[in-house]
Amino acid sequence: MNKKILKWTICIAILLALLLAVSLFSFLVGVVDIPLSKIGEIIANGKSDSRFAILFDIRMPRIMLGFAIGGALSIAGVILQGMFRNSLVEPYTLGISGGAALGVCLNIVLKMQNIFGLFSLPIFGFMGGICVILLVYALSVKQNVLRIQGLLLCGVMISFICSSLIMLIMAVSRSEDLHGIIFWIMGSLEESNWLLIKLMFMMSILGLIAAYIFCFDLNAFSLGEEEALHLGVNVERSKRILFVLTSLLTGFSVSVAGIIGFVGLIIPHFMRLIVGNDHRILIVSSFLSGAIFLIFCDTIARTIIAPIEFPVGVITGILGGTIFIYAFMKKTCLK
Amino acid sequence: MLEVRDLTCGYAGSFFIQHVDFKVNAKEIVGIIGPNGSGKTTLLRAISRELRPENGLIMLDGKDIRQMSFKELARKMAVLAQSINPVPLTVEEFVLLGRIPYRKNLQFLENKNDLEAAEEALRLTDTVTLKNHLMTQISGGERQLVFIARALAQQPKLLLLDEPTTHLDITHQVRILDLIKRLNKKLGLTVIMVLHDLNLATEYCQRLILMNHGRIFREGVTGEVINYKTVEEVYKTVVVVEKNPISGKPYVLLVSEDEIKTDLPDR
Amino acid sequence: MVLRNCLIFIFGITMFLVKPVYAYPERIISLGSSITEEIYLLGEGNRIVGNTVYCARPDEAKKIEKVGTVVSANVEKIVSLMPDLVFATSLTDKKQVHKLRELGVNVVEMPAEHNFQDICANFLKIGESIGKFPQAKKLVEEIKEEMKSMQVKSIKLYRPRVMAQIGANPLFVATKEYFIHDFIEMAGGLNIAKDAPAGQYSREEILKQNPDIILITTMGMTGEQEKSEWERYPSLNAVKNHKIYIIDSDKFCSVTPVTFIETLREMIKVLHPEINNE
Repeated sequence: MNKKILKWTICIAILLALLLAVSLFSFLVGVVDIPLSKIGEIIANGKSDSRFAILFDIRMPRIMLGFAIGGALSIAGVILQGMFRNSLVEPYTLGISGGAALGVCLNIVLKMQNIFGLFSLPIFGFMGGICVILLVYALSVKQNVLRIQGLLLCGVMISFICSSLIMLIMAVSRSEDLHGIIFWIMGSLEESNWLLIKLMFMMSILGLIAAYIFCFDLNAFSLGEEEALHLGVNVERSKRILFVLTSLLTGFSVSVAGIIGFVGLIIPHFMRLIVGNDHRILIVSSFLSGAIFLIFCDTIARTIIAPIEFPVGVITGILGGTIFIYAFMKKTCLK
Repeated sequence: MLEVRDLTCGYAGSFFIQHVDFKVNAKEIVGIIGPNGSGKTTLLRAISRELRPENGLIMLDGKDIRQMSFKELARKMAVLAQSINPVPLTVEEFVLLGRIPYRKNLQFLENKNDLEAAEEALRLTDTVTLKNHLMTQISGGERQLVFIARALAQQPKLLLLDEPTTHLDITHQVRILDLIKRLNKKLGLTVIMVLHDLNLATEYCQRLILMNHGRIFREGVTGEVINYKTVEEVYKTVVVVEKNPISGKPYVLLVSEDEIKTDLPDR
Repeated sequence: MVLRNCLIFIFGITMFLVKPVYAYPERIISLGSSITEEIYLLGEGNRIVGNTVYCARPDEAKKIEKVGTVVSANVEKIVSLMPDLVFATSLTDKKQVHKLRELGVNVVEMPAEHNFQDICANFLKIGESIGKFPQAKKLVEEIKEEMKSMQVKSIKLYRPRVMAQIGANPLFVATKEYFIHDFIEMAGGLNIAKDAPAGQYSREEILKQNPDIILITTMGMTGEQEKSEWERYPSLNAVKNHKIYIIDSDKFCSVTPVTFIETLREMIKVLHPEINNE
């Protein structure tokens, strides 16, 4: 028993150290060279130094968002994979990304930003996501029971419908709008609105705490819904709360940063291979790993072919997929 | 201990059990038997609160089960389902899951009670040696024992089993049921089990509930329920009922249709 | 006399000290290739400290520090170059514009250009922003004069019906929001997609419309392939009169007032070869 606690503590300690390291790395690395030794000088100079703005107004918000969104998406992935007992499920499977993208599409094409300001974009995205998720939920509840398999099917189908609608809109839109839509969809951690960044950060941490409260329920869910019921879990209530939680975490993430794929799929899967299936360690380690991964990918995305930036979703996909295949092969070969 | 009053319960649009009435006293071993589709599993599901009854009441220790929290129910009653998905957990981790109903609100690690209860459960089922093996690596018979251990970790007063001996050879069938009987004697555990095999039911159960077409056909002490007339009426096949020479309990013999042509002995 | 000189002197000093940035920005960043070209046209290319990887004209523009693409600018790079003025286009990521403004950078957003009027208006705006308004105004007026004289001859003639294909797979025709529409109409032609809401046409529809001239903007190999495709329909007027032309798409993408006139001249040659212009 103590061995297990020791193992978990070491794991979390390592992850925290990695998080600190990657954050520092991201802080110091960029198009503009800022060596560690100059940091003190820059902070002393304050706002008059252009490098101060670069460090604290450009890089730091990106690191914070990377932390918040990487963590949020990973947790959403862990919860969904636990509820569905299917490790190929990810936060976008329920259709939220499709709905959010549709909302953003409409916002851009109808030029809502000119009327309601820049803030309207994430709000439209969020509302789009929520509308879709309510639809999916309504279609999956029969006789007061939330059917998990129904969620999956409806989510996928509605995603398809949303994608088609988005393509329709893209086909008849002007080129400026088209570019805006495409780049939003590809995902980016660049955000100027501090309110949004703080909101996302808070949401992410709250999500972590809320998910952790349900760690035992999720452990029980791994045996199936019936078994979870036998173990005293209020299955219907837990399903609903977890569903709402995942929707909020994903909805917020997508609204703020667009669609950043693979994080919600790969991180939980990967952490399962490393730390096992017990959600008490899985939730926290997935959150931290997701944060580390996204911050790292974002740093690569903005430096590798500077001054041109890759959309961060491209890096998460390529890097994530490769690492995963490598780890998976290694594990199966060892057996 | 358990009281079922005028229970009507089932699946919308199809099968229902109706007007089911019976009592189970503490420390009894009761078997639920009946032909396929008679409602045995439905009844068990109603008692374990998986299904919502249309009508009627189920009382455990004098309290309506629908008034209890799920956790409270899980502390009093443990259920062994027919099949559980294989999970990559060790035997010890799996048995510890049975302690979930006892977890306090902000308790995230198992406490001393939990560990002791799990240890005791493993000892009672003679599975201590399997502690660190993965669930996916042990045999079917061993897995069944581990399932029972998990149920025991819940420290229940009532144990529900849904066909615990399916897919097992006679060695393991007897081993499991002997264990159940031992637990009943040693811990005073009340047991309700759905059984397919009539002879196992007669050998191990003190009372039987015979279901047919969603209702209780007959209910009572084993000897009362199992006689050739009753069995033939419900199962619609020719049988002979004899007495087990060692235990004295009735056992049911099947007769294939060829043999029926010859004169039947005094049954 | 002395008083007057003193006043002028004091005024001069004040102006020098106050130095409103928008009147004469020293360090300019351009996020659009036509903007870069236009700044060079006004003779102020040496003030540009950063532009996009696509700013290729004139040749000197290629050597300037790159800050990103037309659609996505590297905010960090821009800030490090400490610009006085950044020109953004309608394609620039709005979030980045907002971010730059938040960091105290002066950003001028140029609205999207769809026709000649827009190009001129934007050119004047650029001139104003960099303190070269009179020069810009003069250039625009000269070009408008030249345009008038060019159009005088072509406008009275028969207007050939033109289809400008700007995409293949799927087939995409230029509608009135593309520059090429202006070129066609101003050169004395008739764009068959003038009133269409969107450019997705089926080949059938084009055959029905039966244009006299087909212009295909170069798409590499596809341009030649499309030409051969059209030539399979001998009923088309354009095929009958051998008037399928492949033209350099670059001329229609980022357009300055000067390149507009040059391209218009070429277009008139294509549409009305009977005019001996120049």
